[in-house]
Amino acid sequence: MPTVEVDPDELRRLTGHDEKDDEQLKEDLFGLGLEFEGETDDGEFELEFAPDRLDRLSVEGVARSLRYHYGDDRGVYVPNTNDADWAIRVEDVPDERPYVTGAVVRGLDMDEGALESLIQVQEKLHATMGRQRAKGAIGVHDLTMLKGDSLEDDERAKSVTYTGIDPEGDTMVPLEGDAEMTLAEVLDDHHIGQEYADLVTEYDTYPAIYDEIGLFSFPPVVNGRRTEVSAESRDLFIEMTGTDQWTIDKMLNIVCYALDARGGKVEDVRVVYEDRELVRPNFETKTKTVDHGDIETTLGIDLDPETVVDLVERAGMNAATEETDDTVTYEVEVPPYRTDVLHPVDLVDDVGRAYGFNELEPRYPDVSTVGGRHERSRLERAARETLVGLGFEDLLNFYLIDEEQNYERLGIEQDSDVVGGGEAVTIQEPYSEDFTMVRSWALPSIMMVLENNTHRAYPQDLAEIGLAVEVDESENTNVAEHRTVAAALCHDGASYEDAKARLQAVADAFDKELETPPTEHPTFISGRTASVVLDGEDVGVIGEVHPEVIVEHDLELPVAAFEFRLDALE
Amino acid sequence: MKLPQAQVAVLNAASADEEQTTERIAEEIDMDPAAVTRAAFELEDEGLVEIVERTSNEVELTEEAETYLDERLPELRLYEAAVSIGADDESVQLGQVIGEAGLEGEAVDIALSNYARKGYGTIDSGEIEANPDADPDDDGEAAALDAIDEGNVAYQSDLALEDLEKRGLVDRSATTVRSILLTDEGVTALMEGVEAAETVGQVTSDLITSGEWDDVEFAEYNVEADAEDLTPGKTHVLRQMSERVKDVLVGMGFQEMQGPTVDADFWINDCLFMPQDHPARNHWDRFALDNPEQIDELPEDLVDAVESAHREGVGADGEGYHSPWDLDFAKALALRGHTTSLTARHLSGEAMGELEPPKRFFSIEKAYRNDTLDATHLLEFFQIEGWVMAEDLSVRDLMGTFTEFYEQFGITDIEFKPHYNPYTEPSFELFGRHPETGEMIEIGNSGIFRPEMLEPLGVDCDVMAWGLALERLMMLVTGAEDIRDVHGTLLDIDYLRSEEAIY
Repeated sequence: MPTVEVDPDELRRLTGHDEKDDEQLKEDLFGLGLEFEGETDDGEFELEFAPDRLDRLSVEGVARSLRYHYGDDRGVYVPNTNDADWAIRVEDVPDERPYVTGAVVRGLDMDEGALESLIQVQEKLHATMGRQRAKGAIGVHDLTMLKGDSLEDDERAKSVTYTGIDPEGDTMVPLEGDAEMTLAEVLDDHHIGQEYADLVTEYDTYPAIYDEIGLFSFPPVVNGRRTEVSAESRDLFIEMTGTDQWTIDKMLNIVCYALDARGGKVEDVRVVYEDRELVRPNFETKTKTVDHGDIETTLGIDLDPETVVDLVERAGMNAATEETDDTVTYEVEVPPYRTDVLHPVDLVDDVGRAYGFNELEPRYPDVSTVGGRHERSRLERAARETLVGLGFEDLLNFYLIDEEQNYERLGIEQDSDVVGGGEAVTIQEPYSEDFTMVRSWALPSIMMVLENNTHRAYPQDLAEIGLAVEVDESENTNVAEHRTVAAALCHDGASYEDAKARLQAVADAFDKELETPPTEHPTFISGRTASVVLDGEDVGVIGEVHPEVIVEHDLELPVAAFEFRLDALE
Repeated sequence: MKLPQAQVAVLNAASADEEQTTERIAEEIDMDPAAVTRAAFELEDEGLVEIVERTSNEVELTEEAETYLDERLPELRLYEAAVSIGADDESVQLGQVIGEAGLEGEAVDIALSNYARKGYGTIDSGEIEANPDADPDDDGEAAALDAIDEGNVAYQSDLALEDLEKRGLVDRSATTVRSILLTDEGVTALMEGVEAAETVGQVTSDLITSGEWDDVEFAEYNVEADAEDLTPGKTHVLRQMSERVKDVLVGMGFQEMQGPTVDADFWINDCLFMPQDHPARNHWDRFALDNPEQIDELPEDLVDAVESAHREGVGADGEGYHSPWDLDFAKALALRGHTTSLTARHLSGEAMGELEPPKRFFSIEKAYRNDTLDATHLLEFFQIEGWVMAEDLSVRDLMGTFTEFYEQFGITDIEFKPHYNPYTEPSFELFGRHPETGEMIEIGNSGIFRPEMLEPLGVDCDVMAWGLALERLMMLVTGAEDIRDVHGTLLDIDYLRSEEAIY
């Protein structure tokens, strides 16, 4: 779960609630769904947040939510913006990353805290909505370092250009760098470049932003050093590029709202595509219709419309009530920094949060249903009880294993026609080389447990009922899954006969006729191996484990074992 | 005839014509008197001896009486002194006689109070007379004292003993004395020969079926000694926990679901309105399969409906995600990251046909996370998945269901933290009070399924759902601290052997 770091003093200042102590703040934040996780070395709160309310990724956003929560603010707030002075021209951009947006914010009184918060909101937006910059990447620049080209249709307007260039086609000094580098060199030699190289290496041309002076940004990788923002910066130029216009516009709104709360004045930017022009940021609100009955049903309580309107306003939105003879609905206006409102149910949830879900009285639903176990689960339980009654220790092993354990150490080959020899169902890019496939039988897992417990008292009679799978093209998923029953006796004198006696007891318990015609299986001693045939169907194998397998598992005692399909007991 | 050792010894010591007390026999054969008595009763049951019970009066001389054995009773000394001064003729001065008798202190009072009572004479106004017919050598009390001292208590009259007791010269008490006499059968048995039976260690089948058990003595065991350690077969502790949870859920009216472990991402994520570029769906968290790679078929209508929900949303005011949606990704196979894939299969009708409300379903099956292992996270874990399908479900119904469920495990004071899940709204993280430590801890995740999930699946009523890891519940209930001790091949068998049963 992502976290956001918030200075409690700054929170008190931005909310205007100096009287709130840390504990009260934590409690209020929990009510918003921001759980206190711990404190940083600097005494900032680390808050865990669910990734729906990305507008709370900054101390400014958290403070805004708190002011609504306290009832200090009500309804939708939309900052006024000044008319555009700057434009972004879009020309010959990389096909993979065609979208750009931007804004200017002036008159900021930045300090270290504000700068830190700005950096944090960028990072957190990159990590969430921006999908690690793949979907959307933010560049913030000191406006005073930019020199705008004039636009063809407007002599007074200043512009920068978003375009695509050859990887070797131009140079700039990147952030945290001190030499001119081509974009290709940035990816190879610069530490930020190396980190994000995967995002663009497949592109034919690399994204680049120019002003009149030259190249100053290489989105989504790194900005140039020339326009770097510091605590002394007063006016900022913000650009965002990405694979989806809506996403970068929303990210821009969240950043602009945070800077507005810092006293900045937001100014429009014209985004001039070859075929259309947008004015950004887009602070248009959207409206959804919420049914009063849906609110009452979801919360399980009766509310009067005035209360609902009050709750909507305390959630930072506006509501207009529309009543007919038998229905009440609300036209709810949603502010432009909200990214999570896809359906009226999201607004019902906001009303519930404003009301306080923990104020609701739990009740057991007055709905009658008949419970019961699945047949396979009942069968598994009965088989397990039978094995335990025969003295087996019931095991629970991982279903994930690797090829060496599953096949080689048991002496069998993958894709061979023996129990356990099915084709492996394998994992892409496993974390650990110990877990690369799903096991095709359970005996290897039991052998591993024996191997790890040679210092423990014998007899060790172990059994497991669990999953086994193999590739099977006749299945819709191309995987055949079944529950397997495996058991092993490991003690002085453990023999085929001992294993068969127990297998016979299991067969008898389920009224199955057991036959054990001789067979060959590389895991077992030749001449002491049989197929498990239940009611005429070959469903498994039984035998004395071959000393080669025993020694391979560092055991010094004989092992007799059997394994068969659970469904054979049905 | 074979008899237990103790009975043989008692029988041999008994006589046919002389009663012998059990104490005496015990002394004679050197056995615990209680054991002799027990053996005697057993012999009586067999008709070999007769037990005569008597209540005998025990009489013991007091310290005072002991002194009179030498010095003689004070009244006798007074009489003899009185006779020697001539008081048998005429009365003499009492003081003179006391001096002559050598009586002092208490003895004076004792002599005076008994003198007249026993008819040795009279005392009046400081003068004493002696009865010339009295015979101090025939004093009953003095004789009784001597006899008691010699052990001949039985011959003393009760009256004499009563007088002595009144004077504080004897202590009397009653005890039951058992004496044994051989019966005719006992005599016959002894003549025919009686052998001591062997003591028996193990009770054998032979012993029981031959009837020999009636003749043998069972050796005493040290019943307090430690027995050997057993390693019985046991159901795995996490399976026990799973059974316990299943009991609770079935009792609450939930029906069990099962379904594939390897499934298409469509069932695992797309049906749950998880955008395809959601961070949880990238290759790092997901157990994508290398072989095989894709499911063969998905229900076409459902695919269209799900894709449309992702792109356009549902309902008049709905919006979709601004994320890509690709059928190939939907068909890609993975190990299920949650068992909510079973819920999707059931709600869509794929698993068991169309479902009509009301319904309650659950499953406790493994889910998989491609993550690093630590004390509380494994690659594989059991997810408890539960859902209720009904008309008009509210947040209160959801709360009430969890309150009931968790109370079964001692977890109370449930709190609901508003939360975000892509497929539920409202959503809650559940917190509850730990039954042992009293801390508030996270115990699950829950919510009411979104219309974007339910509408494509063809469900037109409400469904509320929740999930939590079985391992987490087990750790809470049993106090286990490292899940790696519990699950997997690194397990120590002794852990399973020593773990407490869950019920």
